[in-house]
Amino acid sequence: MATVVSIFELPSNTASAIRKLKDRGFDDLTTYSPAPFPEIEEAEDASPSKVRVFTLVGGLSGVTLGFLMQIWMSLEWPIKIAGKAFAAIPPFWIVGFELTILLGGFFTLFGLLIVGGLYPRKLDKHYSSRFSAEEFGVVVHCEERDVSEVEMLMRGESAKEVTVVDS
Amino acid sequence: MTPPPAMADAMSPLSRPRDSRANIDIMAPTKGAPWPYLLALGLAILGVVQGFLVLAYQAYVGLGVAGYQQPIFWGVYIITFVFWIGIGHAGTLISAILFLFRAKWRNAVNRLAEALTVFAVLTAGLFPVLHLGRLWKVYFLFPYPNQRALWVNFKSPLLWDVFAISTYASISIVFFYIGLIPDIAMARDRATGGKKIVYTILALGWQGTGPQWKAHSRSVLHLSGLATPLVLSVHSVVSWDFAMSIVPGWHATIFAPYFVAGAVFGGFAMVLNVLIPVRRIFRLERYLTDYHFENMSRFILFTSIICGYAYGVEYFIAWYSNVEFEQSSFWLRAFGPYWLSTWAMIVFNCVFPQLLWFKKLRTNLPFLFALCFFINLGMWFERYVIIITSLSREFITGSWGLYIISPVEIAVIVGSFCWFSMWFLLFLKAFPVIAIAEVKELIIHAKDHGGAH
Repeated sequence: MATVVSIFELPSNTASAIRKLKDRGFDDLTTYSPAPFPEIEEAEDASPSKVRVFTLVGGLSGVTLGFLMQIWMSLEWPIKIAGKAFAAIPPFWIVGFELTILLGGFFTLFGLLIVGGLYPRKLDKHYSSRFSAEEFGVVVHCEERDVSEVEMLMRGESAKEVTVVDS
Repeated sequence: MTPPPAMADAMSPLSRPRDSRANIDIMAPTKGAPWPYLLALGLAILGVVQGFLVLAYQAYVGLGVAGYQQPIFWGVYIITFVFWIGIGHAGTLISAILFLFRAKWRNAVNRLAEALTVFAVLTAGLFPVLHLGRLWKVYFLFPYPNQRALWVNFKSPLLWDVFAISTYASISIVFFYIGLIPDIAMARDRATGGKKIVYTILALGWQGTGPQWKAHSRSVLHLSGLATPLVLSVHSVVSWDFAMSIVPGWHATIFAPYFVAGAVFGGFAMVLNVLIPVRRIFRLERYLTDYHFENMSRFILFTSIICGYAYGVEYFIAWYSNVEFEQSSFWLRAFGPYWLSTWAMIVFNCVFPQLLWFKKLRTNLPFLFALCFFINLGMWFERYVIIITSLSREFITGSWGLYIISPVEIAVIVGSFCWFSMWFLLFLKAFPVIAIAEVKELIIHAKDHGGAH
């Protein structure tokens, strides 16, 4: 196996290179970008992010927990207040709403950490501080025989630098 | 749209050093600690210490030293609580609402505004505790299992406030941190020694890979979707602390939108009050241009008009209601013992901001700084007028009184501003004041599309 590391200056070239690599069946690739660019994200993986599932589950858990908590606590020691029912639903919407947002937000954070693989860890071997400046990186793992094809493809997409490592 | 001059400049390959110019410029304030900075930080810490000492005295002697006496038991602490909560609203508006509207100009100001939100909420959160008197009983506010099985009153707006403020503080911190992760990673790549270790832990292994950016973008989008109704709800809930009662001057249905507009108005003023000196001291003129100040000035003008309308409607409804308590309450606001606060509020919040109709003044930074200072003052007086005038003249003449701010309250207010400043000064040295990744997004996008974005 070989690894081809390419550096790009523009997101459009990077996205185009990723699309061509995918078309040729080179799926084992990693991209590095200094800022979010939807064209790169779509070229790499067009499916919707799973973070949305976390947000939804968090929000639904929050509203459920909010109402159940208030109803249970109000009924556990029933005190008549302002002539309202012990478990009066309209005023409970406020806390129910706040807990929807609170848990929705926390679950979104967990979603980011889990889906994005974020935890304190060692950085990838081919990661460079240039990717947190203004350059883009595309790292392709391919068979030795495909190296020249990948290299040509990258240069065809205006890659600034193409380096073959681990060959 | 042509990019601001800073971006056009930063895009030029000749002017661009090896590292990104944005990285170098925006990280510059975090380097070193010159004596004026240390002096400012020292003074802020001193102010916090005196605030806590005075607080200890108040806790020992009792709330009487804070001017609390019949009939006014909501004083400066509640006024300042509402003031600080309001300050936070501009940050969430800039980071969440403008994000949903795809207003790209927010990218240069959102980090600072989000930081101000977090610190403002941290400051606001102190006041309900100070107001308790018995500070050590603060846990009574939350529903916790206890041997009497006695739970909190979920039908009370004060309890709604506990949940609203706690949620607001939590979500603001989460939003702030998520936005910071890519910039912390950038700082990690360039730091050495102890700073590198801290940044490495906080960056959580961020490398800007496709899946990471995708998850990050979606998280920011979802959090914006959650934070938008949240920010509107928080000051609405704060306003219901008043509006759910039957006290004349408080019992008004307009309170929720009126408070939210006022919060955004005051919040923007505070953002400008902080942004203008930061831009000047740290030479960030390339990134914070007239374009940004003009947009924020327009927000201030717009929300000032809403506030003016709300003030007018309050008086109109008091007259139109034909309820003598309401009418007296509003008459006393304008011509009673607190007339100065009322007129200061009207002039600072409604009259002065009208000068922003002039384009030249919208980009005149010394003028904007002075105007925003008066707006902040005016917004504090707005809460003073709402709370004190209503409480000092309730239904029964026997319970009328006059409120005078006590030295303890002044010391605690000073302490709160120092507390806010202390966090902000520490933030300046730890993290970039501008969201670098988001600015780079604009710079690179412009470079990729021939100067248009």
